[in-house]
Amino acid sequence: MGEVELRNVSYSFGDRVALEDVSFELDSPFFCAVMGPNGAGKSTLLKLMLGLLKPQKGMISIMGYDVPREANRVRRLIGYIPQVINIDHRIPMSIEEVVAMAALSRNLPPRIVTGEVRRRVREALELVGLDDPSAQFSELSGGQRQRVLIARALVGEPRMLLLDEPYSMLDFDMKCEIADLLYRLHRDRGIDIFLVAHELSPCIHLEPTVILLNKRVYAIGRAGEVLTLENLRRAYPGLTEIPAGFILGEDHG
Amino acid sequence: MPLDLLLLIYLSAAANGLLIGAISLPLIISRSILFALTMTHSILGGAILGVYLNEVLGISLPVPVTAFLMALILSILVAELSERIFSEDVSIALAVALATTITVVFSYLLAKASSTGLSLAWVYVAGTSAVATLGDLQRTLTGLVITAPLMHLISGEIKYIAFDRDGAEAMGINTRLYRYLFFALGSLTASILSMSIGVLATHVLLAIPGAIAVRFFRRRLFAASYLSATSLSLGGYALAQVMNIPPSGGIGILSAIAVIGMVVARES
Repeated sequence: MGEVELRNVSYSFGDRVALEDVSFELDSPFFCAVMGPNGAGKSTLLKLMLGLLKPQKGMISIMGYDVPREANRVRRLIGYIPQVINIDHRIPMSIEEVVAMAALSRNLPPRIVTGEVRRRVREALELVGLDDPSAQFSELSGGQRQRVLIARALVGEPRMLLLDEPYSMLDFDMKCEIADLLYRLHRDRGIDIFLVAHELSPCIHLEPTVILLNKRVYAIGRAGEVLTLENLRRAYPGLTEIPAGFILGEDHG
Repeated sequence: MPLDLLLLIYLSAAANGLLIGAISLPLIISRSILFALTMTHSILGGAILGVYLNEVLGISLPVPVTAFLMALILSILVAELSERIFSEDVSIALAVALATTITVVFSYLLAKASSTGLSLAWVYVAGTSAVATLGDLQRTLTGLVITAPLMHLISGEIKYIAFDRDGAEAMGINTRLYRYLFFALGSLTASILSMSIGVLATHVLLAIPGAIAVRFFRRRLFAASYLSATSLSLGGYALAQVMNIPPSGGIGILSAIAVIGMVVARES
């Protein structure tokens, strides 16, 4: 059994099918990027892997745990980084508040930030290249916000990071910086990376394992093997040729 | 006015202020103030339903209890609808429409069946007279003892859930439990306050102290919320006595001045 295994997983929101008969297996160590168009079920896949949604059909196992039954155990081993766009930046939160909650989430309220927690927060921030825990989250750039969310995931010392569109709303240089940061965490700290994105540009040079998804898995393997016109046509209906910048992202288009 | 009665009035006003201060800041920082709209509309509907049950059907269910239950049920309805089907604003609009329908229908039935029922229900719109009773003070203090410690305990989580709900759930925080507890405390506070200062003043007051704290202070936000809520409440009662109007009127006038002050401060 692989570190991550999905077998015949299906999920629908009412009549709308999000995922259908999805199966794949990944062995650690992996740096995996799931690619697919909008509405392909990428975020749903992450929520199923975290146990935030339960599959209506099929089986999901992560690190030997049956996710729907043992979601709390799985979440202790995984750091989740949601889409920045889903975060309400209007809520007044300091970086320390954002990151410390992850360190305190296993405690019962009141969740008090102790000196030990502050030290762990500082260490996590150093790993992602940030140094001022008192800064307000709302005042940070897109790239810095992404780094804070990665630091929040790291403070729990996870074995795997799940990232939802980590490159969205960033300029190309920033996307590359985030991709390189993820790769360093993978290489130096042995953290498995599983990210979903609708473009691969920033991380394609890192040679990730690519899963081509549009409600079902169309291909899985090394980028060069998966990103063929034939496979892309199946996952992206209406595509006649690979446009410049399609794989490399809009910024290179 | 006798000194002991005056003391009772201002003790009640101070207790009201502290109760508001405890709930106002979490409502503002979690951007849940529209939930307060649902709560206050529901309290009005629940209170009129309660008066109808008492006066017409002879069911002796305390009116504050029906008001609290209605606010709690409709707040949870909003939470469930916005989680499953609609956006939050549509869910709030639906709950407010439902609460308004209950208010209108039972007001009509009450007016037909009882000559005094509507005036009893009116207490929930405008609040009681400026004369506070020992019962008012006891009720508010009970609400304060329940609400304030629990709000301090969960306000960090409430804020975090508003900031990043998926992230909070992924960390294992039971977002539904916290939200329901928050709504229960909000409904309890609003139903207690509505009896003394009325639904309209309650709605205004739930928003302003938290907004003042967030607008003008970077630290000790709870202290700022308590201080501004208590000042508005005490000042409102004093103004009401001077102008010979209900306390809700005095609080409303002071609150309007506070809002204008915030706008002016923002512009300058």
